[in-house]
Amino acid sequence: MAMAALRREGRRFAPLLTPRPIAAVRSPSLLPEEEVPFGARSISTQIVRNRMKSVKNIQKITKAMKMVAASKLRAIQTKAENSRGLWQPFIALLGDTPSIDVKKNVIVTVSSDKGLCGGINSTSVKVSKGLHKLNSGPDKEPPKYVIVGDKAKVQLVRDSRKDIHLAITELPKIPVNYTQVSVLADDIIKNVEFDALKIVFNKFHSVVSFLPTVSTVLSPEVVEREVESGSSKLGELDSYEIEGGSTRGETLQNLAEFQFSCVLFNAVLENACSEMGARMSAMDSSSRNAGEVLDRLTLTYNRTRQASITTELTEIISGASALEG
Amino acid sequence: MSAPMPFWRAAGMTYITYSNICANLVRNCLKEPHKTEILNREKVHFAVSTWKDGKAEKPVIRSDVVED
Repeated sequence: MAMAALRREGRRFAPLLTPRPIAAVRSPSLLPEEEVPFGARSISTQIVRNRMKSVKNIQKITKAMKMVAASKLRAIQTKAENSRGLWQPFIALLGDTPSIDVKKNVIVTVSSDKGLCGGINSTSVKVSKGLHKLNSGPDKEPPKYVIVGDKAKVQLVRDSRKDIHLAITELPKIPVNYTQVSVLADDIIKNVEFDALKIVFNKFHSVVSFLPTVSTVLSPEVVEREVESGSSKLGELDSYEIEGGSTRGETLQNLAEFQFSCVLFNAVLENACSEMGARMSAMDSSSRNAGEVLDRLTLTYNRTRQASITTELTEIISGASALEG
Repeated sequence: MSAPMPFWRAAGMTYITYSNICANLVRNCLKEPHKTEILNREKVHFAVSTWKDGKAEKPVIRSDVVED
């Protein structure tokens, strides 16, 4: 008891007695003994070494991911660029009417299933939300979402979970092909009632830039109405001659369906291409970042190591000279 | 629609399904090395889930890819 009380007293007086109070606070009398082992002269570099190893591994992974993205990008870029030829005739024939005012709007948001690809998914989600706001009104039905890809789903579930109608995932599990996308488009047409489909995707521009894009596909009835009113480019549709026994209404319906599958095919490809590009640049910058962190850590590590070596040398030399003298 | 419907639409197909069937017919007319290559390329795989009142229903997987 007495010893304990004394020790406590001593601890209380210690800061007063020592000439340097700050050093006294740090002195081993206050800290538990096991943090710094007795007789240890240098700081352990174990933690820094482990950290360096993990950063190096992260850098290796991001570099590998960048390489994978780059090689995938090359394959998919040609595909995407070739697929642009599919929707261009439709624009020439039917025109593009992004600002059309109809009752039932359906927003098709195209996103990726995997993350680690920069901001492309949040961009398309943002554009979709903007379209949603733009197209909701008192005399309209609230626009519905059809979501392609996991990442946009995760973001839209948070605040627009009521408006989600369909969610499609696992699309990029096999290489994108037209059959796959057309079956998907067929599913969407059969399950969703729409006057206008707005497809939101990231159009591939170059490896570092992609434009959030909206393509509009109208239902045959709306196209018919527009042709009657003759306001937009659709008014020129009468100048075309329709072959075979089908009427204009039928032709328009076929065209609208085929247009949707073509536009969706292009959208999925362009988005996959942008995803790869975005992943490439994201992984590039993160491996550069890892390199910087590694450089800083190496510098600290080497400096500490050198300092402890110098201390030990000084001690040895001064010990030796004390013996000599 | 006033005019007689084409037979495929009467069967409940959309133009997309019809054109896919036609395209598949054409693909089957190819000669051998190209035929398998192209038929292997055109596979379908995705999962669709319908949402009702903010709840996802069980996803339906549409796939003709053999799981390995």
